[in-house]
Amino acid sequence: MFGPSNQLLNNLLFWISRKKWLIATFFVSITIFYLPTPEGLTPEAHRTLIIVITALILIISESIPIPAVAILILIMEVILGVDTADGVASSFMSDAVFFIMGSLMLAVAIVHQGLDKHLALTIIAFTGNKTWKISFGFVAVSAIMASFIGEHTVAAMMLPVALSLIKNSGIGLDKATRLSTLLLFSIAYGCALGSIGTPSGGGRNVIMIGYLAEFGLGDISYLDWIKFAYPMLLLEIPLAFGILWYTFTPERRIMDSAVRKLKIQVTREGPLNNNQKLSIVIFFIVFFGWIFLSPKIGLGIVALSGVFLYLSFRLIEWNDIATRMNWGIVILFGSAISLGIQMKETGAALWIADSLLNYFQTIVNDMTIIRWGFSVVLCSIMTNLLSNAATVAVLGPIVLDMGGDPIIMGMATSVASAFAYLTIVASPTCMIIHSTGLVRSKDFFKAGWKLFLSSIVLLFLISFIYWPTLT
Amino acid sequence: MKILIAVSSKEFSTPTLNMGMRVAKAFGAKATIVDVGEKINPFSLKEVGIARERMDSWDIDRPGVDVLEWAFEFLAQNKFIERNEIESGFPKNTLIERDGRRSEVFLKGTVCDDVSLILRNGEIIEELIDEVQTEGYDVTIIGKSKNSKKDYELSQFIDSSIFIVNNNDFNQNYKILLPVDDSPGMKKAVKYSARIAQAFKIGIDLITVSKSNKIHQKNKQALTWAEKFLRRCNIDFKSTLEKGETVEAITRKAGANHIIIMGSSSSGALKTFIAGSKPLRVLKNSNSPILIVK
Repeated sequence: MFGPSNQLLNNLLFWISRKKWLIATFFVSITIFYLPTPEGLTPEAHRTLIIVITALILIISESIPIPAVAILILIMEVILGVDTADGVASSFMSDAVFFIMGSLMLAVAIVHQGLDKHLALTIIAFTGNKTWKISFGFVAVSAIMASFIGEHTVAAMMLPVALSLIKNSGIGLDKATRLSTLLLFSIAYGCALGSIGTPSGGGRNVIMIGYLAEFGLGDISYLDWIKFAYPMLLLEIPLAFGILWYTFTPERRIMDSAVRKLKIQVTREGPLNNNQKLSIVIFFIVFFGWIFLSPKIGLGIVALSGVFLYLSFRLIEWNDIATRMNWGIVILFGSAISLGIQMKETGAALWIADSLLNYFQTIVNDMTIIRWGFSVVLCSIMTNLLSNAATVAVLGPIVLDMGGDPIIMGMATSVASAFAYLTIVASPTCMIIHSTGLVRSKDFFKAGWKLFLSSIVLLFLISFIYWPTLT
Repeated sequence: MKILIAVSSKEFSTPTLNMGMRVAKAFGAKATIVDVGEKINPFSLKEVGIARERMDSWDIDRPGVDVLEWAFEFLAQNKFIERNEIESGFPKNTLIERDGRRSEVFLKGTVCDDVSLILRNGEIIEELIDEVQTEGYDVTIIGKSKNSKKDYELSQFIDSSIFIVNNNDFNQNYKILLPVDDSPGMKKAVKYSARIAQAFKIGIDLITVSKSNKIHQKNKQALTWAEKFLRRCNIDFKSTLEKGETVEAITRKAGANHIIIMGSSSSGALKTFIAGSKPLRVLKNSNSPILIVK
């Protein structure tokens, strides 16, 4: 009965059953296209909103690959007449995209050096064999390192350290225990909260800096960002550790033999070799470049200079970068930024901002609270459903059009986009620890909601007490 | 002939692997054992890949390798693979990765043709359908899922015969329940039943279902053909006429001691998609192992 034509039809039906959201998105877009343009919205802004809605549904539903969504955004911008092909192309590429591309390449180059074993030895030297100290050390080291070299780089380096400790403690790596959950979440949440610390902690921070500069709302340097965000990061470390320890208190309070075995395993590695030393030196050059040179030449060019050095000294081959790097994310960042700029230029962002403020004004009178609440709450919810960079790229122009101090609003949005604690898909670090099979989906919510709410409260206090003293 | 056996863990998949290898042995087929791991979010695919490379450098197994290792031990204990393969142990260092989401290791089989062990990552239905389409398997064998919708979708869309292993108790004396009608897949179902009956040394209950006491002429011809074939294969069988609605009659007759083997529906793909089919409804309602032959 399954002849060729029937099989073809069967394959088509299977495709339809898997692509329900893609088909639904198509009809939703067509419907919105033919709806009358709302009052106060220009036809270009109306069409820009169609693109935003289409992209959001496709990203959340994962019905087509992420790079395909990114490319669709660019195509729709031209086809729907939001901008010319040249206009779209120029809004696609910016220093922020250079930065994202450069930092992803740097991440591949740094992980390639195999510094994780030396890192393990350093951490263990500080923490000793008490489980709480190891967990606290993981949160602190992950957070501080992630604030400079990006969260997923650190997660990839820290993961084998944690897994080795779990394996050496005799628990085995085939089922989740409270100890494995505690250690893996210490890395994931440490990396996530660390990403707020500096612009290089996450691509979204650079997107926000780019928006503030592009829209003429303010300039934030690498050091300015640290002044704003680092106190929050330092307060979040003990908070995250406390919540994780309270939620996943492990059976073992001492990991004596596991630590001993780990030490033996990593000391076999010997001291740092010349390439590893050189790669650390290059990273410090990049770091100082971000601090001192980026105001003149941009964060992206500094990051790309670092990649140039890694390639020139043959610390990594181009082929390794080309195959290991997530090019799809670079295209998505470029498209999302391009869409964000179109939202601002067509007035779509302003229209949404005004509509939301008018609506919420009927509930709360204080405009400052409304603006802050909208940017932080919506951003932190959206970041748990789709990429945090896409969240900032789409919400950024709306938030910056709401009024108030743009730097405080922009910083609050960027910081809130790091609160990706609730779901597996929220960030690569969550996915990395989940991919070990030792963390259950429900554990993300179990610890995540506590850290999510307390982080929002902490951000509120920082935004209204500390940041106004800096602006 | 190529058989795909989908497993997930020692805890849940022992009956599936056992049944799968016995079927592979019956047909002298090439067996592939696959474990489909969790889907990795496309935002994080490369990052997870990098983390796994670091795990490899620390000699820490990536998730799923433990499942393949258990499958290897099962094959070794039951001597499904050659002695030298058993002696050299599970060759995890030869797990060859392809396309970033499929790793494979080859073993030399004994009673059946070669055996491969595969790791894939993704949504299970999509991965199995892709594996079957790419590698061209004849039969896919999988344990019954807690989510019956998954079994239903897989049976509907996969381009191979599918054997859903459900509640298998190997201490039980199973018989094959072979419903016969005039559907185009019937002859192939009878041939598969004969091979399995011979290999498992079990008998076959042939049934024809009719709403009245009278058997339809076309079904009668099909039954005669099946009886003649089984007699020629020297298989112990018994024919009965069941009265009532087809799905309900098959489910009732199957009870808990039959392996149901049915030809796939003669309805078109669109009709099956919208209204379902008899084999799919039997799968949904029955607690017995079921092989739908396509």
